[in-house]
Amino acid sequence: MSTAMQFYVSTLLVYTGVWLLGAWGLNLQFGTAGLLSFAFIVFQAVGAYTAAVLALGPQTDNGGFQHYIGGYDLPFPLPLLGAIVVGAAFAIPIGLVALRRLRSDYQAVALLVISIIATNVATNEPRLFNGATGIALVPKPLASWLGVDLITYQWIYVGLVVVVCLLAYFVVHRITHSPLGRAMRAMRDNEYAAASLAKNVIVLRILAFMIGGALGAASGAILVLFIGTWAPSSWFYPETFVFLAAIIIGGTNNSLGIFVGVLLVPIGFAESTRFLPSIGHPGLIDALQWIAIGFLFLIFLWFRPQGILPERKHRYSSEGKLLTVMQLVSRRLPIRSKVKGQAT
Amino acid sequence: MQFVGPAIGFGLVTASILALAAVGFTMQFGVTNILNLAYGEVMAASGFAALIAVGKGLSIWEAMAVAAVFGAVLSFVLNRAVYVPFIRRGTRLFGMVIVTVAVGLIIENTILATAGPNFFSYSLAQESSYSVGPLILTTSQIVIMGIAVACMAAIHGVLRYTKLGMAMRATATDTTLARSCGIRTERIVDAAWLISGAMCGIAGVTLFINTTSFTASTANSFLVVIVAAAILGGVGQPYGAMLGALVIGLTSEIAAAFIDPSYKNVVAFVILVVVLLLRPQGILADITSQREVVA
Repeated sequence: MSTAMQFYVSTLLVYTGVWLLGAWGLNLQFGTAGLLSFAFIVFQAVGAYTAAVLALGPQTDNGGFQHYIGGYDLPFPLPLLGAIVVGAAFAIPIGLVALRRLRSDYQAVALLVISIIATNVATNEPRLFNGATGIALVPKPLASWLGVDLITYQWIYVGLVVVVCLLAYFVVHRITHSPLGRAMRAMRDNEYAAASLAKNVIVLRILAFMIGGALGAASGAILVLFIGTWAPSSWFYPETFVFLAAIIIGGTNNSLGIFVGVLLVPIGFAESTRFLPSIGHPGLIDALQWIAIGFLFLIFLWFRPQGILPERKHRYSSEGKLLTVMQLVSRRLPIRSKVKGQAT
Repeated sequence: MQFVGPAIGFGLVTASILALAAVGFTMQFGVTNILNLAYGEVMAASGFAALIAVGKGLSIWEAMAVAAVFGAVLSFVLNRAVYVPFIRRGTRLFGMVIVTVAVGLIIENTILATAGPNFFSYSLAQESSYSVGPLILTTSQIVIMGIAVACMAAIHGVLRYTKLGMAMRATATDTTLARSCGIRTERIVDAAWLISGAMCGIAGVTLFINTTSFTASTANSFLVVIVAAAILGGVGQPYGAMLGALVIGLTSEIAAAFIDPSYKNVVAFVILVVVLLLRPQGILADITSQREVVA
């Protein structure tokens, strides 16, 4: 591969990882716990800003051309870990406001409003994160310590993203296959039934919100440490809908399906249009892309609302252990139930 | 203190536009229970329909009538062609929200693709302004307020004194019961979409008149304020939406004058979040049970 191609492919792989982490995070909130989390992009933004100000030096660096709070100059894993912690912590106040007492459709609107408030505040408060211009020159993790050329560094970063994604997959898998995940799905399918079985739905909701938020923050941190800049224009509220499209099209509650959705929607769309000749007025391709996303939503909700790879039905043995596919085959149980909409 | 008068004037105008939009939004929501996030895009489409009408030589007020008809027809068609089939197919609350988001994306970007990312305006003639007490208002602002008051009165009349209004209120309260009392709820739903679409069209044109220059996404960014006003008053409550519009319109403009213009929506939204915390069902609504979508 030529150097340019290597650079392109490695960048694309990092972006895929970022989208995947975010989509898994949103799926925990939307797919597993049934929260219409229209503020999801805020978690990515929180993670990105946190990682940026933890990795950057004090704001007087580089001639003090940008203003931000913090500036701790921390070595690599700490900005990422800090972002994850702050992302999870940030979910608590939002969750308490939006998820505690409201009807689900009001929750959706309240979260949408919170997303817009957050962009407004970040844009209009230059002392917080350099306002509308955003933060730039975030140092690449371990770049000086490794001392390798650009292409090698790109591939090392891809390796890092793969490791983080595998870790995230492990966490998501463990949660969704645990009693906690089962309780969340029960709450999603019937909140009152779950509550009547002594499941605290508020705690469950806020937990789902926190774990999903942590994953979203991780995706933001990895993105900002890679590209080095972050501004309010990167996280306007419609971005959440792109994540949602990836989940619905790929398959809600199916980690592999969501991976397919990410490859199709954000990655496939953005990259396939890159090679189109530029036609019409600036913004036409963008507009056509959004129209296509809209139609994809409708087509999938109509023909295949469960997505390309549907959610697997979980089956448990009499001891309450989750059965593997092999055990199901040996017992000649149907792997997937024909009953629609019962997923616990 | 010299800012207060103009701020209240701007607030009343914003509240009028908001009231038109929020009452339309909430009436449709109350009857059908579909959280229609494509509402802002229907506003934009109607506003652009009025732009074409103005380009054909109609006056802005005639163009507003065109926009009202356009909004009504577009909403009706969207309901019949998209929303009803999805509901019949078994799409529920969450799914329907996403369907409306998808429809909104398609409408907004179709406008963007055909009209381009430019700023547009109705190129109205320079207007004289009047001072009414401490308020300073232009002719079109006064007319916008007049239209809003007239529409609110008309909505009140329809809801209170006609059979259609009574049937609408019945459908909004309990669809099954309304149906078993012999109300043809499908027709009521159609009527709700038509009325809401017409209000939406009028609101779109008034919004674009008031902002002087607009793009394909101007109305969409206003949608959240509309939804905030509707929810503040209690969703599905037309009188609540009027009250919510007044509260949000006035506070946002007064906050713009006293704090910082870029924060005007933030203040309005913070009020919304506080109200939702203290009174989750909105100011005027009773405790609402979760209803299913109605086609």
